Amino acid sequence: MPDTEWPRYEVFKQDRPNRPHEAVGTVHAPDPEMALLNARDVFVRRPACHSLWVAPQDQVLTMTALEMELNPAWAEETVPEDAPVRTFHVFTRQHQRRTMVAATHVGQIQARTHREALRKALEQGEFTDRPVYLWMIVPADAITGSREEDVESLFRPAEEKHYRDQSYYSGRVFDKKALKRREREVA
Amino acid sequence: MSAFPRTPNTRPLPNVGLPTDPDYEQRLAEFEARIEAGEKIEPGDWMPYEYWRQLVRMISQHAHSEVVGMLPEGAWITRAPSLRRKLILLAKVQDEAGHGQYLYHAVETLGVDRGTLIHQLLEGKAKYSSVFNYPTLTWADVAMIGWLVDGAAIKNQTMLAHCSYGPYSRAMVRICAEETFHYKQGKEAITLYAQGTPRQRRWAQDALDRWWWPALMMFGPHDKDSPNTPALMRWKIKTKSNDTLRQEFVNEIIPELMAVGLEIPDPDLRYDEETGNWLIGPIDWAEFWQVIRGNGLMNQARMAARRQAHEEGQWVREAVEAYARRHQARQAPEKIAA
Ligand SMILES: [Fe+2]
Ligand SMILES: [Fe+2]
Repeated sequence: MPDTEWPRYEVFKQDRPNRPHEAVGTVHAPDPEMALLNARDVFVRRPACHSLWVAPQDQVLTMTALEMELNPAWAEETVPEDAPVRTFHVFTRQHQRRTMVAATHVGQIQARTHREALRKALEQGEFTDRPVYLWMIVPADAITGSREEDVESLFRPAEEKHYRDQSYYSGRVFDKKALKRREREVA
Repeated sequence: MSAFPRTPNTRPLPNVGLPTDPDYEQRLAEFEARIEAGEKIEPGDWMPYEYWRQLVRMISQHAHSEVVGMLPEGAWITRAPSLRRKLILLAKVQDEAGHGQYLYHAVETLGVDRGTLIHQLLEGKAKYSSVFNYPTLTWADVAMIGWLVDGAAIKNQTMLAHCSYGPYSRAMVRICAEETFHYKQGKEAITLYAQGTPRQRRWAQDALDRWWWPALMMFGPHDKDSPNTPALMRWKIKTKSNDTLRQEFVNEIIPELMAVGLEIPDPDLRYDEETGNWLIGPIDWAEFWQVIRGNGLMNQARMAARRQAHEEGQWVREAVEAYARRHQARQAPEKIAA
């Protein structure tokens, strides 16, 4: 009884408009649409999501600073002359704090390959104001994203489910009358 | 892709160092210095084989525990005493499914596929927390699991959020935020019962009597009988030992349980004025090992339920695949603009 070995998709979640997308983990899915739905179920059971992106993991370049240091040959590649220039989204991890996200969206770069995008990012220094421990390079054309009109059906329903949040149980909730009232609230 | 467990000294990933590597000692020193400095080890970073092995072992067992952990409570979704309780329980069980996925993701960053792990679980070859091999006999059991079992899990998981391996630490931070809801809804439900009718009070006490010791066993064997602990602590995979966590847990939960009028089922229990510790009586480790070896009350039933769920989900997976094929044939999926 083997499990499905559907491809892995990297998931990027944007909590609010005007906030960067953040790499939160991966899901397995047979296609991008299903990946988006799985990502919603796995990473957005509670509100605070405005947009979700998924991208096939095999189209995402992930590199650590240490990996690059121990293997300086990472940057070597022959880029075909006629390779088209594409847009790459750049995500970095620039701290060692305890968080639930791996990397944060910092900008875009025009390049012909993932590695060229990463080389440019390092050369330009635009994203390296602080040390970067982890890079993720995601081609824009590999991303499937939720749309503005999906917010209502994908993310909004979670907002009503206050009982999913620990704050719902705080304060006077352990007082017997308050408990009874809450029982009636839903029933 | 990759199989697990591997034979020792086969390199599972290019970034995993073997003791026979010429640069092993130097890399190890650098690795340990990074951990000492509080840096996270990320997928792709150099790591010693033993670190890799311990992480795969721990995270996969943890993932399986989340998945199997859905079963004792899931059995009560259709029998919840009110609509509100049903909504809360559904949300909790969904969370546990999500926790399993976060953790399978974390193991996959070490090159071991979810498919391989799930296969091992269904074959009965994988370990998971022994606590889920006890039956849920009444609604009070569901409530007591939330308070006691999730409470113990939070202690462990809060510690693991400090883990030196980035993906495991991040999964734990995400899980802990949700776990507090599990704990609080359980505490709320038991508080209600403990203040309720004589029968409800009896159910609450009975649930505590049966779940108390299994919950304490969740922290694992005593430190002196836990051969993995020194390596795990040295590399900050764990930052506190089993006994330390267990003591912290009993110190916190005993006064809370007593406050709602429940009695701790331990005749040897006493409070040590000097240290401020609650000292518990001996744990029945023979029972613990029996359950781990598959002889608990519910081991067979849990695996049968998991296999049945997997088999009954087969048509869904097939349907989803058929949909994906047809969809792809018809139109290219929508892309966001660059
Ligand atoms: Fe959980
Ligand atoms: Fe939980």
